[in-house]
Amino acid sequence: MMRVSVPVALLVTGLLAYCLLIGPFTAYMRNKPIEEKLGFVPSIKLIKPLSADQKEIAGASLVIKVVMYYGGLMGKAMDGRVITERPDLMGMSRLLHGAVQLDPYNMDAYYFAQGFLTWDAGQHKVANELLEYGMKYRTWDWYLPFFAGFNYAYFLKDYAKAAEYYKRAGDLSGESLHKSLAGRYMQESGQTELAIFYLTGMDKNEKSPAMKKIYQTRLKAFREVRRIEVARDQFKLTHGTLPASVEQLVKIGLLTSPPVDPYGGSFYLEADGKVRSTSKFAFAVMKGEKNNVGN
Amino acid sequence: MIAVIGITLKGVFRDRVFQGIIAFAVLFLFIPSASTLSMRQVTELSITLSLSLISFILLLLSVFLGATSLWKDMERRYTFSVLSLPISRCSYLLGRFFGLALFLILSSTILGSVACLVIKVAAGLHPPDRPVVWSWLALAIVFATLKYILLVGVALLLSTVSTSFFLPIFGTICAFLASGITQQVYEYVNSPIAAEVVSPLLKPIVAVLYYLLPNLAGFDLKVNAIYGIAPNFAGLGITAVYFVAYTAILLGLSSLSFNRREMK
Repeated sequence: MMRVSVPVALLVTGLLAYCLLIGPFTAYMRNKPIEEKLGFVPSIKLIKPLSADQKEIAGASLVIKVVMYYGGLMGKAMDGRVITERPDLMGMSRLLHGAVQLDPYNMDAYYFAQGFLTWDAGQHKVANELLEYGMKYRTWDWYLPFFAGFNYAYFLKDYAKAAEYYKRAGDLSGESLHKSLAGRYMQESGQTELAIFYLTGMDKNEKSPAMKKIYQTRLKAFREVRRIEVARDQFKLTHGTLPASVEQLVKIGLLTSPPVDPYGGSFYLEADGKVRSTSKFAFAVMKGEKNNVGN
Repeated sequence: MIAVIGITLKGVFRDRVFQGIIAFAVLFLFIPSASTLSMRQVTELSITLSLSLISFILLLLSVFLGATSLWKDMERRYTFSVLSLPISRCSYLLGRFFGLALFLILSSTILGSVACLVIKVAAGLHPPDRPVVWSWLALAIVFATLKYILLVGVALLLSTVSTSFFLPIFGTICAFLASGITQQVYEYVNSPIAAEVVSPLLKPIVAVLYYLLPNLAGFDLKVNAIYGIAPNFAGLGITAVYFVAYTAILLGLSSLSFNRREMK
């Protein structure tokens, strides 16, 4: 009797406890702070020897970890929720830098780093250093100089460098478009249009729904910026001065509908007429986080 | 010796260890869908996963079969009946080795063919920017097979000196892990940066270990296969000769040790 009752009692108690616990446990895991979700990853100096002849898969798994973490965050944005959690940009950058040390050819790492290091973290130099590291290995790939060219022109306003990288991209891809971009980036004017052009191309070639959403959100924001810029220029042409605010442009009918920032911010005009948004075109990134992302 | 090779092959196919390890091959079915986790290199990821899976299966096979083959024979006292036949200990050992090597070649041929199918499916669904270079892929599988055949040699050598299976199994795993980093450690210790940090006593020790342990990093052609980068053929030639030389040393030492071994 004893031989049967003890295991059955253990099993029943275990099953009951499991059923009672699984709900709260799942909720606890789902609501874990984002920093904890990205988790602790040992130093690359340790991963490198331990991964033996599996360095490529170890690198790919680090990239996938970052993509899933960020994709999960963006998934919330796709549900229409405003993201309040701060993405662990420093952790993401550390993992991607580690991934390219394990496999310097991994395109996903460069591609994804380019996405968040520039737009979200504002670490344009770190992004370019990573791209330049990748160019030493992926010598056939025109994407890396294409990205670097864009960063130099759009973010760093270094048009000579931008032209140099676009020329390199053009030489590798054989596309006259990149070569013509090299010339176009020499001018500061029309930056928003160029950003729209760049993001449209990225969106077109993207197959991941989460990444597509990221591009489309940014495109939506930039198209609104462009709309304000056109109205601002029209105002200046008619009145000879810059408009006082975006609201003024709406009020006098130059903007048919109030512009909406998909990042949840509001648009405003700087003293020199530049269109900015309080969101800085990123989801809830705190100022302090932008420091030392590349370390 | 040919009879021993045949017996070894038959024995491996009947072995439960082999059946358990080969079950990992089911994972190939999931590779096309797992590769879509990549944003820009789906085909490349499918090659990475396929080669890693082949490498992992071959590692398990070489460590467990290589390390337990001789030990099992001695433990079950099969060696008494076999060695009472007109066959030298050396032929018996070489027969075991070539049987296991042939088995690894068969396994990698089958696994490689499955991998090609899987990669073809992934490349068909998401065409890569650069076409897959099938010859580099085949070369990567060939060199991975050579690497694990060499590891079987290490396992056999350790089996001839050990009375339990702990040393052959864990010794082979340690040799495998060390063999991937000896080059890095050797280069670091001999670099100008290390001159101030590393003790001068360590240098000769590292040098001895570097030449003593197998250097398996040269057999890894995954990057060439994944990204379609042409390998250095002269280097591959040297690596192939290195394989022959090192395996010959291992087999020679194993035979000497096995000849001197007392069977109880």
